Amino acid sequence: MNDRPAVIMLVDDDQDFLDINESLLVASGYQVLPFCDRESAFGQICRQKPDLVITDLMMESLDAGFSLARRIKQEPALADLPVIIVTAISSQLGFNFTPRTPEELKSLHADAFLEKPVPPDKLLATVRELLK
Amino acid sequence: MTPSPGQPTAPERERILVVDDEFGIREGCRRVLTSEGYQVQTAADGLEGLETFRQEKNFAAALIDLKMPRMGGLELIDAIRKEDPDIMLLVITAYATIQTAVEATKKGAYGYIPKPFTPDELLLPLRNGLEKRSLALEAKRLRAERERRLLEITEERSKLRTIIECMTDGVAVVNQDKQVVLENAALARFLPEARPNSWPAPMAALGYPELISILEEALKAGTAPLISSTEITLDNRTYMVNASPVAEPGHDPFGAVAVVREITAIKQLAVAKSMFISMVAHELKSPLAAIEAFLDLILSRPESMTAEKQQEMMERCVLRARNLRNMVTELLNLVAIETGHLSLKRTPIELGSVVEEVVELQRPKAEAKQLEMILDLPEQQDTTQVLADKEALSCIITNLVDNAIKYTPDQGRVDVSVSCDEHLVKLAVRDSGIGMTEKERESAFDEFYRAKNKHTASIPGTGLGLSVVKRLVEMHNGVISLASEPGQGSTFTISFQSL
Repeated sequence: MNDRPAVIMLVDDDQDFLDINESLLVASGYQVLPFCDRESAFGQICRQKPDLVITDLMMESLDAGFSLARRIKQEPALADLPVIIVTAISSQLGFNFTPRTPEELKSLHADAFLEKPVPPDKLLATVRELLK
Repeated sequence: MTPSPGQPTAPERERILVVDDEFGIREGCRRVLTSEGYQVQTAADGLEGLETFRQEKNFAAALIDLKMPRMGGLELIDAIRKEDPDIMLLVITAYATIQTAVEATKKGAYGYIPKPFTPDELLLPLRNGLEKRSLALEAKRLRAERERRLLEITEERSKLRTIIECMTDGVAVVNQDKQVVLENAALARFLPEARPNSWPAPMAALGYPELISILEEALKAGTAPLISSTEITLDNRTYMVNASPVAEPGHDPFGAVAVVREITAIKQLAVAKSMFISMVAHELKSPLAAIEAFLDLILSRPESMTAEKQQEMMERCVLRARNLRNMVTELLNLVAIETGHLSLKRTPIELGSVVEEVVELQRPKAEAKQLEMILDLPEQQDTTQVLADKEALSCIITNLVDNAIKYTPDQGRVDVSVSCDEHLVKLAVRDSGIGMTEKERESAFDEFYRAKNKHTASIPGTGLGLSVVKRLVEMHNGVISLASEPGQGSTFTISFQSL
């Protein structure tokens, strides 16, 4: 990490998770940009690219997190931006969203897939790993 | 032995007609026959004999002289035989020749007795003839009975065929030789390929491997009771196929029957139910995850935040836990409504006074947000009478007023008004809050739907309140409507029939 603190964008429609992760990340020295919807988050990303995105999966639609991740990864200028997807429900109606292999993870356009609530140590370790 | 009613008439009681122009023969016959228990009528010539036969009816036998004035015996035999094919005719004649005897028997006479005759010579052929007649009558009765039964069976068969043809379930029957022997219209409608060209057709003509294999399984089961099931999906429709052996107790099985029922709607219902359950699971898991995350953060890194921040997080935990509990309560309400376990006690009640009660209870919440809450009631409260359950009505109004307060920013305004005309009593709850987009309006009454935007993110809610309200209003035969625009506030209006 250089002298500038890394900028982490949080996208979640649950205000509490924004608060929780913001507290944790700010206390660990990161700069945090909280957003509660996918559209304004993506607009911000395009204006100023953060160093990492942590997004919830189910927001206004069942797979809002996936589509945000896909839009990021398909934009050449943003393709190297790491994305962490978090969700409270990792399986639904027989679908298990949880990727089992690195290939599956890549097909979800995500660099990490975590289940809520994410233990603070695990979230910080994942963030550190992806910011290397 | 006394003959009991219903038994066949004893031979002694049978009626016999004696037609002879000789008085001595007539009376002699009468004496002999009467002493044997027969009922006897006599006539002195053919014409009188025919008249007596026609008037008295029901003769079992007639003794007829051949040579008589006015109408001869052969002519009388002809006439009687035409009218009664069963009567036993005996010819009595002094001029018995082979020719006349043959002629008489050709015309239907049983036999003849040459004059003069002894009582036994009379009685023996008479008894034999009568016995033959009663046997013939019995055979005729049995024949008629058999024909009637055959007719009934045919009718029964066509009735059964019609019933099977009209069934809404598809039916296919195969015999032990694996031939299709019956198929109804519904089966051909469900599974159009399963239409054999001719009957009986080989089982393969049923076309669908699932149908064929389940029937084969049922055939193999023999007489053992077995019902096996499978599903066939065709053109987005699902069919349940049940098969069982066709066997009468104690007999070899005749074959197997498959019943095909369309279960598309049941399937869709099951999917909808699963989706609802995963939605419930998600809605329950989210606040639990938030509470766990808050507590985890506070416990694992208390040094990373101020005491105020910790306090604030604890308060959020309490709020989320309370919200979770409310959600469970409302889910239970919803289930009670859906399963019909919620029984309403509807009594005449003034809507205005219930609204007044609720608004006063909610007023402190409105004041905490510095909202202006205006209550507008008609002067005559008794005009607002409706037939409703007090508790349900309270729940409806509380939900609407609570929502109006929650979704209106500080210093806004909430208007609650009750109005009535001769047919309807209306309650309108208007707020100056954040309003709804068209999409949000459409989903406002759906279970777990909550408008999610920057304004609502911090407002607690279960997403079930309006679903419960709508159901309760409808259980009162009322109507609920919603008018709203983003930034323009929302108005919920409910109407009940006035009393």
